[in-house]
Amino acid sequence: MPVDWGLSMRTHLVGAALLCLLGCQALPAAPPLPSEHLTVEKLGPKNPHWVYVVDEAFYNEIDSRVDLYDGDNYRTLGQIDAGFNPGVNLSPDGATTVVTTTYFARGSHGARTDVVEFIDNTTLSVTGEIVLPPKHANTMPTYFNIGYSTDSRFLYVSYVTPASSFGVLDPAKKSVLGEIDTAGCVLVIPSGPNRVSSICESGRLLTVTLDADGHEASRALSEPFFDADTDPIFVQGVPTTDGYLFLSFLGQVHEVDFTASQPAFRKPWSILNAADIKEHWRPGGQTVGALHRGLGRLYVPMHRGGEGSHKQGGTEIWVFDMKTHERIARWPLASQKIDPVVAIQVSQDAEPIVFAATEKSDVAVLDARSGRLRHLQKQLGQTAWFFLNP
Amino acid sequence: MRSIDRLFEHSSRSLAQRTSRRSVLAGLGRLLMGAAVLPLLPIDRGSRAAAAEATAPGKSAADNPESCEYWKYCAIDGFLCSCCGGSSHSCPPGTAPSPITWIGTCRNPADSRDYIVSYNDCCGKTSCGNCECNRNEREKPMYRLSRNNDVNWCMANADSNYHCSVSVILGVSEQ
Repeated sequence: MPVDWGLSMRTHLVGAALLCLLGCQALPAAPPLPSEHLTVEKLGPKNPHWVYVVDEAFYNEIDSRVDLYDGDNYRTLGQIDAGFNPGVNLSPDGATTVVTTTYFARGSHGARTDVVEFIDNTTLSVTGEIVLPPKHANTMPTYFNIGYSTDSRFLYVSYVTPASSFGVLDPAKKSVLGEIDTAGCVLVIPSGPNRVSSICESGRLLTVTLDADGHEASRALSEPFFDADTDPIFVQGVPTTDGYLFLSFLGQVHEVDFTASQPAFRKPWSILNAADIKEHWRPGGQTVGALHRGLGRLYVPMHRGGEGSHKQGGTEIWVFDMKTHERIARWPLASQKIDPVVAIQVSQDAEPIVFAATEKSDVAVLDARSGRLRHLQKQLGQTAWFFLNP
Repeated sequence: MRSIDRLFEHSSRSLAQRTSRRSVLAGLGRLLMGAAVLPLLPIDRGSRAAAAEATAPGKSAADNPESCEYWKYCAIDGFLCSCCGGSSHSCPPGTAPSPITWIGTCRNPADSRDYIVSYNDCCGKTSCGNCECNRNEREKPMYRLSRNNDVNWCMANADSNYHCSVSVILGVSEQ
Protein backbone atom coordinates (compact mmCIF):
# COMPACT_ATOMS: atom_id res chain seq x y z
CA MET A 1 0.00 0.00 0.00
CA PRO A 2 1.49 3.39 -0.97
CA VAL A 3 2.43 5.73 1.84
CA ASP A 4 1.19 9.31 1.69
CA TRP A 5 4.67 10.85 2.05
CA GLY A 6 3.34 14.35 1.34
CA LEU A 7 1.06 14.35 4.37
CA SER A 8 3.66 12.66 6.52
CA MET A 9 6.39 15.15 5.55
CA ARG A 10 4.08 18.10 6.18
CA THR A 11 3.23 16.74 9.62
CA HIS A 12 6.90 16.36 10.49
CA LEU A 13 7.79 19.82 9.27
CA VAL A 14 5.07 21.43 11.38
CA GLY A 15 6.22 19.47 14.44
CA ALA A 16 9.83 20.40 13.87
CA ALA A 17 8.99 24.07 13.45
CA LEU A 18 7.08 24.10 16.76
CA LEU A 19 9.94 22.39 18.58
CA CYS A 20 12.43 24.82 17.07
CA LEU A 21 10.42 27.81 18.16
CA LEU A 22 10.33 26.54 21.74
CA GLY A 23 14.00 25.63 21.72
CA CYS A 24 15.19 28.77 20.01
CA GLN A 25 13.63 30.94 22.62
CA ALA A 26 15.72 29.18 25.27
CA LEU A 27 19.12 29.73 23.48
CA PRO A 28 21.07 33.02 23.28
CA ALA A 29 21.27 34.29 19.71
CA ALA A 30 24.69 33.42 18.16
CA PRO A 31 26.42 36.28 16.35
CA PRO A 32 26.26 35.94 12.55
CA LEU A 33 29.35 34.83 10.68
CA PRO A 34 31.44 37.75 9.43
CA SER A 35 31.40 38.54 5.74
CA GLU A 36 34.33 37.08 3.77
CA HIS A 37 36.69 38.53 1.20
CA LEU A 38 37.70 36.37 -1.72
CA THR A 39 41.49 36.31 -1.98
CA VAL A 40 44.23 34.31 -3.67
CA GLU A 41 46.56 32.36 -1.42
CA LYS A 42 50.23 33.23 -1.43
CA LEU A 43 52.83 30.58 -0.94
CA GLY A 44 55.07 30.93 2.08
CA PRO A 45 58.85 30.57 1.86
CA LYS A 46 59.81 27.29 0.26
CA ASN A 47 60.41 24.38 2.56
CA PRO A 48 62.68 21.38 1.93
CA HIS A 49 59.73 19.17 2.80
CA TRP A 50 57.71 20.46 -0.14
CA VAL A 51 57.74 18.33 -3.24
CA TYR A 52 56.58 18.79 -6.83
CA VAL A 53 54.50 15.73 -7.78
CA VAL A 54 54.42 15.18 -11.54
CA ASP A 55 51.07 13.56 -12.37
CA GLU A 56 50.98 12.20 -15.91
CA ALA A 57 47.15 11.97 -15.61
CA PHE A 58 47.32 8.89 -17.78
CA TYR A 59 43.54 8.44 -17.97
CA ASN A 60 43.13 11.86 -19.58
CA GLU A 61 46.65 12.55 -20.61
CA ILE A 62 46.07 15.97 -22.16
CA ASP A 63 45.51 17.26 -18.64
CA SER A 64 48.76 16.38 -16.89
CA ARG A 65 49.68 18.53 -13.92
CA VAL A 66 52.25 19.11 -11.21
CA ASP A 67 50.99 19.32 -7.65
CA LEU A 68 53.05 21.16 -5.06
CA TYR A 69 52.64 19.12 -1.89
CA ASP A 70 53.64 19.92 1.68
CA GLY A 71 55.15 16.85 3.37
CA ASP A 72 54.91 18.38 6.85
CA ASN A 73 51.29 19.46 6.82
CA TYR A 74 50.09 16.90 4.26
CA ARG A 75 48.36 19.48 2.10
CA THR A 76 48.36 20.31 -1.58
CA LEU A 77 49.60 23.89 -1.86
CA GLY A 78 48.82 24.48 -5.51
CA GLN A 79 49.01 23.18 -9.06
CA ILE A 80 50.96 23.78 -12.24
CA ASP A 81 49.24 22.78 -15.49
CA ALA A 82 51.36 20.52 -17.67
CA GLY A 83 49.45 19.61 -20.85
CA PHE A 84 50.23 16.39 -22.73
CA ASN A 85 53.26 14.14 -22.08
CA PRO A 86 55.14 16.84 -20.21
CA GLY A 87 58.77 17.07 -19.22
CA VAL A 88 59.25 19.05 -16.01
CA ASN A 89 62.29 20.43 -14.24
CA LEU A 90 63.41 23.35 -12.07
CA SER A 91 65.89 26.15 -12.70
CA PRO A 92 69.19 25.80 -10.78
CA ASP A 93 68.04 28.43 -8.24
CA GLY A 94 64.68 26.69 -7.79
CA ALA A 95 62.78 29.88 -8.59
CA THR A 96 61.28 28.64 -11.84
CA THR A 97 59.56 25.47 -12.97
CA VAL A 98 59.89 24.71 -16.68
CA VAL A 99 57.35 22.51 -18.42
CA THR A 100 57.87 21.26 -21.97
CA THR A 101 54.60 19.99 -23.34
CA THR A 102 52.09 19.78 -26.16
CA TYR A 103 48.70 21.48 -26.50
CA PHE A 104 46.09 20.73 -29.13
CA ALA A 105 44.04 23.57 -30.62
CA ARG A 106 40.70 21.89 -29.87
CA GLY A 107 41.56 20.40 -26.50
CA SER A 108 42.05 16.75 -27.43
CA HIS A 109 42.68 17.28 -31.15
CA GLY A 110 43.53 19.91 -33.71
CA ALA A 111 46.77 21.69 -34.47
CA ARG A 112 49.65 20.73 -32.23
CA THR A 113 51.66 23.38 -30.43
CA ASP A 114 54.77 22.36 -28.50
CA VAL A 115 55.92 24.85 -25.95
CA VAL A 116 58.10 25.43 -22.92
CA GLU A 117 56.24 27.25 -20.17
CA PHE A 118 57.98 29.11 -17.35
CA ILE A 119 56.28 29.12 -13.97
CA ASP A 120 57.16 31.44 -11.11
CA ASN A 121 57.45 29.13 -8.12
CA THR A 122 56.44 31.84 -5.67
CA THR A 123 53.05 32.33 -7.35
CA LEU A 124 52.64 29.19 -9.51
CA SER A 125 51.70 31.51 -12.39
CA VAL A 126 52.90 31.11 -15.96
CA THR A 127 55.25 34.02 -16.63
CA GLY A 128 56.45 33.23 -20.14
CA GLU A 129 56.81 30.68 -22.89
CA ILE A 130 58.87 29.60 -25.86
CA VAL A 131 57.09 27.94 -28.78
CA LEU A 132 59.03 24.91 -30.01
CA PRO A 133 59.04 22.94 -33.23
CA PRO A 134 56.54 20.07 -32.75
CA LYS A 135 59.24 17.67 -31.56
CA HIS A 136 59.37 17.56 -27.78
CA ALA A 137 59.90 13.97 -26.62
CA ASN A 138 56.49 12.47 -25.79
CA THR A 139 57.60 10.11 -23.05
CA MET A 140 57.66 9.48 -19.32
CA PRO A 141 58.89 12.24 -17.01
CA THR A 142 62.56 12.12 -15.96
CA TYR A 143 65.19 14.71 -15.05
CA PHE A 144 66.36 14.55 -18.65
CA ASN A 145 63.35 15.65 -20.73
CA ILE A 146 64.24 19.30 -20.14
CA GLY A 147 67.08 20.89 -18.19
CA TYR A 148 69.13 24.03 -17.62
CA SER A 149 72.85 24.57 -17.96
CA THR A 150 74.39 25.10 -14.51
CA ASP A 151 74.63 28.88 -15.10
CA SER A 152 71.03 29.05 -16.44
CA ARG A 153 72.30 30.53 -19.72
CA PHE A 154 70.87 27.68 -21.81
CA LEU A 155 67.81 25.49 -21.56
CA TYR A 156 67.79 22.14 -23.37
CA VAL A 157 64.74 20.18 -24.52
CA SER A 158 64.80 16.57 -25.68
CA TYR A 159 63.24 16.02 -29.13
CA VAL A 160 62.05 12.70 -30.61
CA THR A 161 60.19 12.59 -33.92
CA PRO A 162 61.31 9.61 -33.76
CA ALA A 163 64.66 10.97 -34.97
CA SER A 164 66.40 12.20 -31.84
CA SER A 165 67.90 15.62 -31.25
CA PHE A 166 67.64 18.42 -28.72
CA GLY A 167 66.68 22.04 -28.79
CA VAL A 168 68.90 24.74 -27.33
CA LEU A 169 66.89 27.65 -25.91
CA ASP A 170 67.70 31.02 -24.41
CA PRO A 171 65.52 31.25 -21.28
CA ALA A 172 66.32 34.94 -20.73
CA LYS A 173 65.38 36.07 -24.23
CA LYS A 174 62.68 33.38 -24.55
CA SER A 175 64.00 32.20 -27.89
CA VAL A 176 65.07 29.02 -29.67
CA LEU A 177 68.78 29.14 -30.48
CA GLY A 178 69.00 25.94 -32.47
CA GLU A 179 68.67 22.18 -32.71
CA ILE A 180 71.43 19.58 -32.43
CA ASP A 181 71.16 16.08 -33.87
CA THR A 182 72.13 13.33 -31.43
CA ALA A 183 72.53 10.44 -33.87
CA GLY A 184 70.00 8.16 -32.19
CA CYS A 185 71.06 8.97 -28.63
CA VAL A 186 68.27 10.28 -26.42
CA LEU A 187 67.43 12.75 -23.65
CA VAL A 188 69.38 15.72 -22.30
CA ILE A 189 71.74 15.43 -19.34
CA PRO A 190 73.14 18.93 -18.82
CA SER A 191 76.51 19.46 -17.16
CA GLY A 192 78.57 22.58 -16.63
CA PRO A 193 77.72 25.76 -18.49
CA ASN A 194 77.73 24.29 -22.01
CA ARG A 195 77.63 20.49 -22.15
CA VAL A 196 74.78 18.09 -22.91
CA SER A 197 75.03 14.30 -22.75
CA SER A 198 72.58 11.82 -24.28
CA ILE A 199 72.21 8.07 -23.69
CA CYS A 200 72.96 5.80 -26.64
CA GLU A 201 71.79 2.31 -27.49
CA SER A 202 75.44 1.25 -27.69
CA GLY A 203 75.75 1.83 -23.93
CA ARG A 204 77.76 5.03 -24.45
CA LEU A 205 77.10 8.67 -23.66
CA LEU A 206 77.26 11.24 -26.43
CA THR A 207 78.47 14.58 -25.08
CA VAL A 208 77.99 17.72 -27.15
CA THR A 209 79.85 20.87 -26.10
CA LEU A 210 78.33 24.20 -27.16
CA ASP A 211 79.90 27.50 -28.06
CA ALA A 212 78.85 30.82 -26.55
CA ASP A 213 75.95 31.10 -29.01
CA GLY A 214 74.55 27.69 -28.16
CA HIS A 215 75.77 26.03 -31.32
CA GLU A 216 77.70 22.78 -31.42
CA ALA A 217 81.43 23.26 -30.88
CA SER A 218 82.43 19.61 -30.53
CA ARG A 219 81.10 16.17 -29.70
CA ALA A 220 82.54 12.98 -28.23
CA LEU A 221 81.34 9.45 -27.55
CA SER A 222 82.31 7.76 -24.30
CA GLU A 223 83.31 4.16 -23.91
CA PRO A 224 80.36 1.84 -23.31
CA PHE A 225 79.38 1.72 -19.64
CA PHE A 226 76.36 -0.63 -19.85
CA ASP A 227 75.00 -3.31 -22.16
CA ALA A 228 71.50 -2.67 -23.50
CA ASP A 229 71.07 -6.36 -24.37
CA THR A 230 72.14 -8.06 -21.17
CA ASP A 231 71.44 -5.47 -18.47
CA PRO A 232 69.94 -2.16 -19.64
CA ILE A 233 70.01 0.89 -17.40
CA PHE A 234 66.85 2.74 -16.50
CA VAL A 235 66.90 6.21 -18.06
CA GLN A 236 65.61 7.69 -14.81
CA GLY A 237 68.93 8.91 -13.43
CA VAL A 238 69.33 9.86 -9.77
CA PRO A 239 71.19 13.11 -8.94
CA THR A 240 74.43 12.59 -6.99
CA THR A 241 76.99 15.05 -5.63
CA ASP A 242 78.95 15.13 -8.91
CA GLY A 243 76.51 13.83 -11.51
CA TYR A 244 73.97 11.05 -11.71
CA LEU A 245 73.71 7.36 -10.93
CA PHE A 246 71.82 4.94 -13.13
CA LEU A 247 70.33 1.70 -11.86
CA SER A 248 70.18 -1.26 -14.19
CA PHE A 249 67.36 -3.76 -14.56
CA LEU A 250 69.47 -6.35 -12.70
CA GLY A 251 70.47 -4.05 -9.85
CA GLN A 252 73.84 -2.64 -10.91
CA VAL A 253 74.61 0.94 -9.88
CA HIS A 254 76.46 2.98 -12.52
CA GLU A 255 77.77 6.24 -11.06
CA VAL A 256 78.72 8.87 -13.61
CA ASP A 257 80.77 11.94 -12.72
CA PHE A 258 79.74 14.81 -14.99
CA THR A 259 82.01 17.50 -13.53
CA ALA A 260 84.81 17.31 -16.15
CA SER A 261 84.68 17.97 -19.86
CA GLN A 262 83.79 14.32 -20.50
CA PRO A 263 81.78 11.99 -18.24
CA ALA A 264 83.77 9.61 -16.03
CA PHE A 265 82.43 6.23 -14.91
CA ARG A 266 83.05 4.70 -11.53
CA LYS A 267 83.25 0.96 -11.14
CA PRO A 268 79.67 -0.36 -11.06
CA TRP A 269 78.43 -2.07 -7.93
CA SER A 270 75.43 -4.27 -7.19
CA ILE A 271 72.57 -3.68 -4.79
CA LEU A 272 71.91 -7.43 -4.76
CA ASN A 273 73.70 -10.21 -2.89
CA ALA A 274 73.57 -13.87 -3.88
CA ALA A 275 70.45 -14.54 -1.81
CA ASP A 276 68.65 -11.52 -3.30
CA ILE A 277 69.45 -12.72 -6.81
CA LYS A 278 68.19 -16.20 -5.98
CA GLU A 279 64.93 -14.66 -4.79
CA HIS A 280 64.66 -12.57 -7.99
CA TRP A 281 64.70 -9.17 -6.31
CA ARG A 282 64.91 -6.28 -8.79
CA PRO A 283 64.48 -2.52 -8.88
CA GLY A 284 61.50 -1.24 -10.86
CA GLY A 285 58.86 1.41 -11.39
CA GLN A 286 58.66 4.80 -13.06
CA THR A 287 61.25 6.52 -10.85
CA VAL A 288 63.54 3.81 -9.56
CA GLY A 289 65.72 5.54 -7.01
CA ALA A 290 66.38 8.59 -4.85
CA LEU A 291 69.53 9.71 -3.06
CA HIS A 292 70.02 11.83 0.04
CA ARG A 293 73.26 13.42 -1.06
CA GLY A 294 74.29 14.60 2.43
CA LEU A 295 73.70 11.29 4.17
CA GLY A 296 74.82 9.23 1.19
CA ARG A 297 71.73 7.04 1.37
CA LEU A 298 70.15 5.53 -1.70
CA TYR A 299 66.48 4.49 -1.62
CA VAL A 300 65.25 1.93 -4.18
CA PRO A 301 61.76 0.40 -4.61
CA MET A 302 62.32 -3.37 -4.98
CA HIS A 303 60.10 -6.21 -6.18
CA ARG A 304 60.49 -9.90 -6.94
CA GLY A 305 60.23 -10.27 -10.71
CA GLY A 306 61.91 -11.35 -13.90
CA GLU A 307 62.01 -10.55 -17.60
CA GLY A 308 59.62 -7.70 -18.30
CA SER A 309 59.00 -6.75 -14.65
CA HIS A 310 61.07 -3.54 -14.78
CA LYS A 311 58.08 -1.23 -14.42
CA GLN A 312 56.59 -3.20 -11.55
CA GLY A 313 56.19 -1.32 -8.27
CA GLY A 314 58.35 -2.12 -5.25
CA THR A 315 56.87 -4.15 -2.42
CA GLU A 316 59.80 -3.01 -0.30
CA ILE A 317 62.10 0.00 -0.21
CA TRP A 318 65.75 -0.88 0.27
CA VAL A 319 68.23 1.61 1.67
CA PHE A 320 71.93 1.56 0.77
CA ASP A 321 75.03 3.36 2.02
CA MET A 322 76.77 4.93 -0.97
CA LYS A 323 80.22 4.64 0.61
CA THR A 324 80.16 1.03 1.78
CA HIS A 325 77.58 -0.13 -0.79
CA GLU A 326 75.97 -2.07 2.05
CA ARG A 327 72.24 -2.39 2.40
CA ILE A 328 71.35 -0.74 5.69
CA ALA A 329 67.59 -1.28 5.75
CA ARG A 330 64.68 -3.08 4.13
CA TRP A 331 61.29 -1.48 4.54
CA PRO A 332 58.42 -3.85 3.74
CA LEU A 333 55.46 -1.76 2.60
CA ALA A 334 52.43 -4.04 2.90
CA SER A 335 52.78 -4.13 6.69
CA GLN A 336 52.27 -0.35 6.68
CA LYS A 337 49.33 -0.76 4.28
CA ILE A 338 51.26 0.88 1.43
CA ASP A 339 50.69 -0.50 -2.08
CA PRO A 340 53.66 -1.22 -4.36
CA VAL A 341 55.72 1.92 -4.95
CA VAL A 342 56.42 3.17 -8.49
CA ALA A 343 58.14 6.50 -7.77
CA ILE A 344 60.35 7.78 -4.95
CA GLN A 345 62.08 10.95 -3.75
CA VAL A 346 63.87 12.03 -0.58
CA SER A 347 64.13 15.56 0.81
CA GLN A 348 67.70 16.86 1.10
CA ASP A 349 67.55 18.42 4.60
CA ALA A 350 68.91 17.17 7.92
CA GLU A 351 65.56 15.69 8.99
CA PRO A 352 64.70 14.03 5.71
CA ILE A 353 61.47 12.47 4.59
CA VAL A 354 60.87 10.03 1.77
CA PHE A 355 57.99 10.48 -0.66
CA ALA A 356 56.80 7.23 -2.23
CA ALA A 357 54.03 7.14 -4.85
CA THR A 358 52.10 3.92 -5.23
CA GLU A 359 50.53 2.19 -8.21
CA LYS A 360 47.21 3.74 -7.13
CA SER A 361 48.80 7.18 -6.90
CA ASP A 362 48.71 7.36 -3.11
CA VAL A 363 51.74 9.21 -1.74
CA ALA A 364 53.34 7.85 1.42
CA VAL A 365 55.42 10.21 3.55
CA LEU A 366 58.03 8.22 5.46
CA ASP A 367 60.74 9.07 7.94
CA ALA A 368 63.90 8.73 5.84
CA ARG A 369 65.95 7.35 8.73
CA SER A 370 63.54 4.77 10.11
CA GLY A 371 61.06 4.10 7.31
CA ARG A 372 58.19 4.82 9.69
CA LEU A 373 55.05 5.93 7.90
CA ARG A 374 54.13 9.47 8.84
CA HIS A 375 51.21 9.91 6.50
CA LEU A 376 49.50 8.24 3.55
CA GLN A 377 47.94 10.76 1.18
CA LYS A 378 45.27 8.89 -0.74
CA GLN A 379 44.98 9.51 -4.47
CA LEU A 380 47.26 12.46 -5.07
CA GLY A 381 46.30 12.76 -8.73
CA GLN A 382 45.91 9.80 -11.09
CA THR A 383 49.42 8.66 -11.88
CA ALA A 384 52.14 10.30 -9.79
CA TRP A 385 55.31 9.07 -11.53
CA PHE A 386 58.01 11.62 -10.74
CA PHE A 387 58.95 13.95 -7.88
CA LEU A 388 61.13 17.04 -7.83
CA ASN A 389 62.61 18.56 -4.68
CA PRO A 390 61.99 22.32 -4.41
CA MET B 1 62.21 8.33 -44.00
CA ARG B 2 65.61 8.31 -42.37
CA SER B 3 63.92 7.85 -39.01
CA ILE B 4 61.86 4.93 -40.20
CA ASP B 5 64.94 3.37 -41.76
CA ARG B 6 66.66 3.72 -38.43
CA LEU B 7 63.78 2.07 -36.59
CA PHE B 8 63.89 -0.92 -38.90
CA GLU B 9 67.65 -1.05 -38.66
CA HIS B 10 67.40 -1.19 -34.87
CA SER B 11 64.68 -3.79 -35.02
CA SER B 12 66.59 -6.07 -37.32
CA ARG B 13 69.78 -5.64 -35.31
CA SER B 14 67.98 -6.69 -32.17
CA LEU B 15 66.30 -9.63 -33.89
CA ALA B 16 69.63 -10.75 -35.25
CA GLN B 17 70.92 -11.12 -31.75
CA ARG B 18 68.19 -13.56 -30.92
CA THR B 19 67.50 -15.44 -34.14
CA SER B 20 69.19 -16.90 -37.18
CA ARG B 21 69.80 -14.80 -40.30
CA ARG B 22 67.32 -16.90 -42.25
CA SER B 23 64.51 -16.38 -39.78
CA VAL B 24 65.27 -12.67 -39.63
CA LEU B 25 64.92 -12.41 -43.40
CA ALA B 26 61.72 -14.41 -43.30
CA GLY B 27 60.37 -12.26 -40.50
CA LEU B 28 61.36 -9.01 -42.14
CA GLY B 29 59.79 -10.13 -45.40
CA ARG B 30 56.53 -10.67 -43.61
CA LEU B 31 56.94 -7.45 -41.71
CA LEU B 32 57.41 -5.47 -44.91
CA MET B 33 54.45 -7.22 -46.46
CA GLY B 34 52.42 -6.29 -43.39
CA ALA B 35 53.69 -2.75 -43.64
CA ALA B 36 52.42 -2.52 -47.21
CA VAL B 37 48.96 -3.65 -46.17
CA LEU B 38 48.70 -1.76 -42.88
CA PRO B 39 49.95 1.79 -43.15
CA LEU B 40 52.72 1.04 -40.60
CA LEU B 41 51.90 1.06 -37.00
CA PRO B 42 52.97 1.81 -33.42
CA ILE B 43 52.30 1.25 -29.73
CA ASP B 44 52.59 3.32 -26.73
CA ARG B 45 53.68 4.51 -23.49
CA GLY B 46 54.30 3.67 -19.91
CA SER B 47 51.98 3.37 -17.04
CA ARG B 48 51.33 1.36 -13.97
CA ALA B 49 50.29 -2.14 -13.13
CA ALA B 50 48.51 -4.32 -15.59
CA ALA B 51 44.75 -4.15 -15.18
CA ALA B 52 43.44 -7.44 -16.47
CA GLU B 53 39.79 -7.34 -17.37
CA ALA B 54 37.22 -9.92 -16.47
CA THR B 55 37.37 -12.87 -18.79
CA ALA B 56 34.28 -14.11 -20.61
CA PRO B 57 32.99 -17.47 -19.36
CA GLY B 58 34.65 -20.40 -21.10
CA LYS B 59 37.59 -18.31 -22.29
CA SER B 60 40.99 -18.20 -20.70
CA ALA B 61 42.56 -14.77 -20.21
CA ALA B 62 45.26 -15.68 -22.75
CA ASP B 63 42.51 -16.14 -25.39
CA ASN B 64 40.53 -13.00 -24.60
CA PRO B 65 41.49 -9.87 -26.57
CA GLU B 66 39.82 -7.74 -23.89
CA SER B 67 42.16 -9.14 -21.25
CA CYS B 68 45.64 -7.79 -20.57
CA GLU B 69 46.73 -11.42 -20.36
CA TYR B 70 45.87 -12.01 -24.03
CA TRP B 71 48.93 -13.64 -25.56
CA LYS B 72 49.48 -10.98 -28.24
CA TYR B 73 49.81 -8.23 -25.62
CA CYS B 74 53.11 -9.44 -24.11
CA ALA B 75 54.69 -5.97 -24.31
CA ILE B 76 51.73 -3.63 -24.65
CA ASP B 77 51.58 -0.62 -22.39
CA GLY B 78 48.49 1.51 -22.64
CA PHE B 79 44.73 1.08 -23.11
CA LEU B 80 43.50 -1.91 -25.11
CA CYS B 81 41.70 -0.79 -28.28
CA SER B 82 39.56 -3.92 -28.01
CA CYS B 83 37.88 -2.24 -25.01
CA CYS B 84 37.57 1.12 -26.83
CA GLY B 85 35.56 0.28 -29.96
CA GLY B 86 38.36 -1.42 -31.89
CA SER B 87 39.85 -4.89 -31.65
CA SER B 88 43.26 -6.38 -30.96
CA HIS B 89 44.21 -5.39 -34.54
CA SER B 90 41.91 -2.51 -35.47
CA CYS B 91 41.56 1.07 -34.30
CA PRO B 92 38.29 2.47 -32.94
CA PRO B 93 36.13 4.59 -35.29
CA GLY B 94 37.40 8.10 -35.84
CA THR B 95 40.97 7.39 -34.78
CA ALA B 96 44.01 6.91 -37.00
CA PRO B 97 46.78 4.33 -36.75
CA SER B 98 50.15 5.96 -36.39
CA PRO B 99 52.59 5.72 -39.31
CA ILE B 100 55.48 4.47 -37.18
CA THR B 101 55.70 1.35 -35.10
CA TRP B 102 57.79 -0.99 -33.07
CA ILE B 103 57.75 -4.75 -33.23
CA GLY B 104 58.05 -7.53 -30.71
CA THR B 105 57.68 -11.26 -30.39
CA CYS B 106 54.95 -13.01 -28.39
CA ARG B 107 54.38 -16.74 -27.93
CA ASN B 108 50.91 -18.08 -28.67
CA PRO B 109 50.25 -20.83 -26.10
CA ALA B 110 47.62 -22.38 -28.39
CA ASP B 111 50.16 -23.42 -31.05
CA SER B 112 53.43 -22.80 -29.16
CA ARG B 113 54.67 -20.55 -31.96
CA ASP B 114 56.43 -17.23 -31.56
CA TYR B 115 54.78 -14.49 -33.60
CA ILE B 116 56.26 -11.20 -34.69
CA VAL B 117 53.72 -8.57 -33.74
CA SER B 118 53.52 -4.90 -34.45
CA TYR B 119 52.45 -2.73 -31.54
CA ASN B 120 50.42 0.20 -32.79
CA ASP B 121 48.84 3.20 -31.22
CA CYS B 122 45.53 4.57 -32.42
CA CYS B 123 45.61 8.33 -32.42
CA GLY B 124 43.63 11.54 -32.58
CA LYS B 125 41.33 11.28 -29.56
CA THR B 126 42.04 11.64 -25.87
CA SER B 127 42.97 8.62 -23.67
CA CYS B 128 40.40 5.84 -23.95
CA GLY B 129 40.89 4.95 -20.29
CA ASN B 130 39.50 1.40 -20.55
CA CYS B 131 41.44 -1.82 -19.93
CA GLU B 132 44.77 -0.34 -18.95
CA CYS B 133 47.47 -2.90 -19.63
CA ASN B 134 51.18 -2.72 -18.83
CA ARG B 135 53.28 -5.68 -19.94
CA ASN B 136 56.90 -5.34 -20.87
CA GLU B 137 58.41 -8.62 -22.06
CA ARG B 138 61.65 -7.75 -23.87
CA GLU B 139 60.74 -4.06 -23.71
CA LYS B 140 63.77 -1.77 -23.52
CA PRO B 141 64.33 1.82 -22.40
CA MET B 142 64.03 4.76 -24.73
CA TYR B 143 67.61 4.61 -26.05
CA ARG B 144 66.49 1.48 -27.90
CA LEU B 145 63.49 3.20 -29.37
CA SER B 146 62.49 0.31 -31.62
CA ARG B 147 61.80 -1.74 -28.46
CA ASN B 148 60.30 0.95 -26.28
CA ASN B 149 56.69 1.37 -25.24
CA ASP B 150 57.15 4.50 -23.10
CA VAL B 151 57.07 6.93 -26.00
CA ASN B 152 53.90 8.09 -27.67
CA TRP B 153 54.00 6.37 -31.04
CA CYS B 154 51.33 8.80 -32.25
CA MET B 155 54.10 11.41 -32.16
CA ALA B 156 54.33 11.70 -35.95
CA ASN B 157 50.57 11.78 -36.62
CA ALA B 158 48.77 14.89 -37.76
CA ASP B 159 46.68 14.45 -34.59
CA SER B 160 49.27 13.08 -32.20
CA ASN B 161 47.03 12.50 -29.19
CA TYR B 162 47.19 8.94 -27.86
CA HIS B 163 43.94 6.96 -27.60
CA CYS B 164 44.68 3.22 -27.34
CA SER B 165 47.01 0.40 -28.44
CA VAL B 166 46.74 -2.74 -30.59
CA SER B 167 48.96 -5.69 -31.42
CA VAL B 168 48.95 -6.93 -35.03
CA ILE B 169 50.39 -10.26 -36.16
CA LEU B 170 52.96 -9.79 -38.92
CA GLY B 171 54.12 -13.38 -39.18
CA VAL B 172 55.63 -16.37 -37.46
CA SER B 173 59.08 -15.94 -36.01
CA GLU B 174 60.84 -19.09 -37.24
CA GLN B 175 63.69 -20.39 -35.16
